[in-house]
Amino acid sequence: MKTRRAVLSATLVLIALVLQTSFLGRLGLPGATPDLVLVVVVALSLAYGPGVGGVTGFIAGLLVDMAPPADGVVGLTALIGLAVGTITGAAIDPRDRTIVSISGMVGASTGGAVIVYAAMSSIVGGGRVDWSLVPGLALSAGLYGVLLGMAVVPFVTWAARRMTPDLVL
Amino acid sequence: MFTGRARALLAALLVLGLTLVIFDLRGGQGPFSTLTSGVGAVLGGAERVGSAVASPFIGIRDWWGTWGDQRAKIAALESENQQLQSLVHRSENDRNRADQLDGLLRVAGVGEYRIVPAEVIAIGPAQDFAWTVTIDAGRADGIERDMSVINGDGLVGRVQSVRSNTSTVVLIVDSTISVGARVAGSGEVGILSGTGQQESMEFQMLDPLAPMQPGDALVTFGSKGGRPYAPGIPIGEVVKVQGTAGQLTRVATIRPFADMSALGVVGVVIKPPRTDPRDSVLPDRQGAATLPTPEPTQASASPSPTAPELNASPVPSAS
Repeated sequence: MKTRRAVLSATLVLIALVLQTSFLGRLGLPGATPDLVLVVVVALSLAYGPGVGGVTGFIAGLLVDMAPPADGVVGLTALIGLAVGTITGAAIDPRDRTIVSISGMVGASTGGAVIVYAAMSSIVGGGRVDWSLVPGLALSAGLYGVLLGMAVVPFVTWAARRMTPDLVL
Repeated sequence: MFTGRARALLAALLVLGLTLVIFDLRGGQGPFSTLTSGVGAVLGGAERVGSAVASPFIGIRDWWGTWGDQRAKIAALESENQQLQSLVHRSENDRNRADQLDGLLRVAGVGEYRIVPAEVIAIGPAQDFAWTVTIDAGRADGIERDMSVINGDGLVGRVQSVRSNTSTVVLIVDSTISVGARVAGSGEVGILSGTGQQESMEFQMLDPLAPMQPGDALVTFGSKGGRPYAPGIPIGEVVKVQGTAGQLTRVATIRPFADMSALGVVGVVIKPPRTDPRDSVLPDRQGAATLPTPEPTQASASPSPTAPELNASPVPSAS
């Protein structure tokens, strides 16, 4: 059962990553690029809890860091993924899930990730961060995150219930 | 909420993440960079497949173009139409002159860049502040690090890293990029830097007294051995000049010719021209006056001591 959980998580993250770089990034939407990978991490964390969420977030972030054409410092997105996966799973009680709390979590994660990434990137000396763009990017990233979450979270929950009914919270 | 094992695992991942960051900041070769490029190669392959599948749907992008003010678009198209019409009328005359120039140009070459065509298959997210794209050509196609990347309009960027079948290109608008550039016509040199914004690059002239005005075009100055920038590639045009002549710092805002958000087919310059093509590759906007200047003659005369094979076999490709 745990193997099936790992396979499901890995498949979802990989599909999200390819979709994000090859499709969502090329759409040329105004503002930030919709962060599908992070939304999937949030959804998996809601389904399986903070432990699995943190590990999945870490690995997903590491892949985002390494996937071409990324050129930032490897490890930053991994740390953000770890934080998002852990916090999401811990913050939202499985019995207390409303569309508002989940959307809020997804929006805060995707929007906050932009700010945290910018902050960490300036601390370690990425040298590219333009703070005047950060508010707009964070806002649009959060908005896209909420919109994606409306579709992705129910889908991932459904897939997790189907594939691994015993492990879903 | 957390069992002891989960807590230990998450703490270990945190330490691992910080270690990776430190390793990456240290740079250099090693098992870590081999791992990174290996994973990058696999994901690059996946992006190729994803790009092929997603391509038909990318057309959706054109929708929000039509949401904007269509009137401005029509006006722009009309003026472009007029320009093209006058171009057609002029071309008859130009062709005559072109025949005469052909002999000269065959040697000087209108930007004899040898290029490998490639297509942009993935674009980096806007929120990591890096203007980078993936192209579907790599080491197998002869691409190497620090080659210039151009498209039909002008300079696009340079190759940052190469994998077997894909490469990462940093666009010139990225804030880490500086390009040595020359003002077409006056020949004044300066340094052009990306700002991270698509429509405004900054150009700082070395000579603060030199004349410069909106509409002037910039071409690359060229680097040693044509890396990372081959000489004579059109970059963009001046849209605004801040500061007056003689002021200590004069900065011009440059709009690149190439549209960075709508890149499709690009070319990687795998071999720069033997001689600097100067301004000849620029789109012909100030009339044909830039073409028949005596520059090609100089260019054809100067390389003869250094490159005798140029005289032995005139390059036929430019005709």
